[in-house]
Amino acid sequence: MDDDSRFADFVAERADALLRYGYVLSGNPHDAADLTQEALIRLHRAWPRVRRKQDPESYVRMTMARLHIGVWRLRRRERLVWDLPEDPHTDVPPSDVEQGLWRALATLPRKQRAVLVLRYYEQLSDEEIAGVLGVSRGTVRSHASLGLGKLRSAVPHPTAADRSAP
Amino acid sequence: MSNDLEADLRAALGHAAERAPRAPGALSAHVVARSRRRTRGRALVAAAAAVLVAGGIGVAVRGAGDDPASPAVDPARTASAEVTQSAPSPSQEAAELPEPVEKVWPDAVWKIPAELPGGRKFHPLSFIDDRTLLLETWESFEKADAIYAYELDGGRTRKITDIRTPKGVFASGHTVGDGLVVWQTIDEGDGDETKGTRVTRFWSVPLGGGTPREIGTDRPVRGRGDELAVTGGRLAFSLHEGGVFTVPLGGGTVEPVPGAERHHILRWPWVGTPGEYTPDTETSFEELLNAETGERNTAVVRPGERFVRCGVTTCAGSRPDGTAFHRMRDGSRERDLPGGVAFTGLAADRFETVNLPMPPGGEYLHDLVTDKSGDLGIRPDAKGESISVQPGLGDGRLVSYPLGDEYVIIDLARIAADSPPGPS
Repeated sequence: MDDDSRFADFVAERADALLRYGYVLSGNPHDAADLTQEALIRLHRAWPRVRRKQDPESYVRMTMARLHIGVWRLRRRERLVWDLPEDPHTDVPPSDVEQGLWRALATLPRKQRAVLVLRYYEQLSDEEIAGVLGVSRGTVRSHASLGLGKLRSAVPHPTAADRSAP
Repeated sequence: MSNDLEADLRAALGHAAERAPRAPGALSAHVVARSRRRTRGRALVAAAAAVLVAGGIGVAVRGAGDDPASPAVDPARTASAEVTQSAPSPSQEAAELPEPVEKVWPDAVWKIPAELPGGRKFHPLSFIDDRTLLLETWESFEKADAIYAYELDGGRTRKITDIRTPKGVFASGHTVGDGLVVWQTIDEGDGDETKGTRVTRFWSVPLGGGTPREIGTDRPVRGRGDELAVTGGRLAFSLHEGGVFTVPLGGGTVEPVPGAERHHILRWPWVGTPGEYTPDTETSFEELLNAETGERNTAVVRPGERFVRCGVTTCAGSRPDGTAFHRMRDGSRERDLPGGVAFTGLAADRFETVNLPMPPGGEYLHDLVTDKSGDLGIRPDAKGESISVQPGLGDGRLVSYPLGDEYVIIDLARIAADSPPGPS
């Protein structure tokens, strides 16, 4: 199997998952698609090396996280290679708390949001997050703590009272 | 810390992810096409990058550099458009294949073995002179490890120098002048663009061979170099971010070209703005400035026209009704463009590649000045995929592509020299 077929297989299998990751990272479908596209282009350019030395999935996820917090976002945006649907479909309407959290996430600085997504969506340890973002563990902890603090103050937790501690 | 908040956050992110857009089925082919087309200096632009095309349809292919226009085209729509529009130039019947390029332009086409003596694959970069090609070999994808002079008559190969670049740094933009090969490296941190502005450095080596020497600059060149030219003892370069500068070939003070703060090198001494990369489908090189004489020129673009890409003397683009045109920069001598919109623009102001209808598929090179066409010989494989050749803006002299065990080399300048464009 040649490199291009392997790459095609990877994209076919993983593109939807990458889009989901891009969506929680950026908060909107356009940036999600843009991040995914750009990261896949870079993955393709580095494909022989990445396949040899790294795991493509972690490479592309790291690229997306770094792109999202990086200067790339401000400078350049390529037209997507596909059209996005007008209305993203929703199976389950999110609860009020979830909607509030989602809106509050949009107010966080990119790095804080990225740290929270990597910790609570990607389920990475702080050490792994430090590696992905190329920052120190201390920075990860401070971003996480600031970000959670803002979410907590932005979203009063009516459920907290109901979920009395055991 | 509230575990509730963390649990709610996990749930919110998990549920939100389900609202993400879905990937289209052809994403991989589009990504591959765009990846191959992305400029890393002229090597991939003017020299006609070869691009994988899915389904033999010229969809994701007919774009230049990072031009957003072409890949956004809907494949289905393009397929039908190509069938109707890749119709024959006036000299041909629809079903009739053009003669092969080597028959149409025998003095300007070479077929050379696709491997150097010793079995290494190579990638043509540019012409050194009428008979000699500059080639590079790769250590890994697009990462050059040596450059060579290759004599087209006889195939004698001579290594000019080894190239060593740090991880994630690529040599690009090779150009030849004043007895030197000159190129650039852009420190882009292995794809990590979070580290701030990147720095471009320039290098030279005598054509006769030697060790690469850095062309020192009095201050770091912040930005990404896009095009290089050698002129009168100086290196001229433009940045992807805009701006044209010169520096002595021996190193020294970087001097901006007055009035070219937003410009890009098109074909020295012509510099223009916007450059080849036009994110909002603005007209490429609508404004030109002669960096030596100060002469200025603005191309005529009419309301409703799209994807207009201009060279030094001509423009090509799409009319409001979707038909494609080419004409002089001043708007005169407008003609229909066979093959539909030339997203890459015209090479050397007169050449385009046009898709052949399926079957057999493939592409031909068309000279708009003489109306001659030559079949490039490319055919889709069993999966319906084929490469696409894109001569681009800029000096656009070299067209090269692999074909079986050979590399096809076409010198557009030689074709043009045999039949210069006449007066209107």
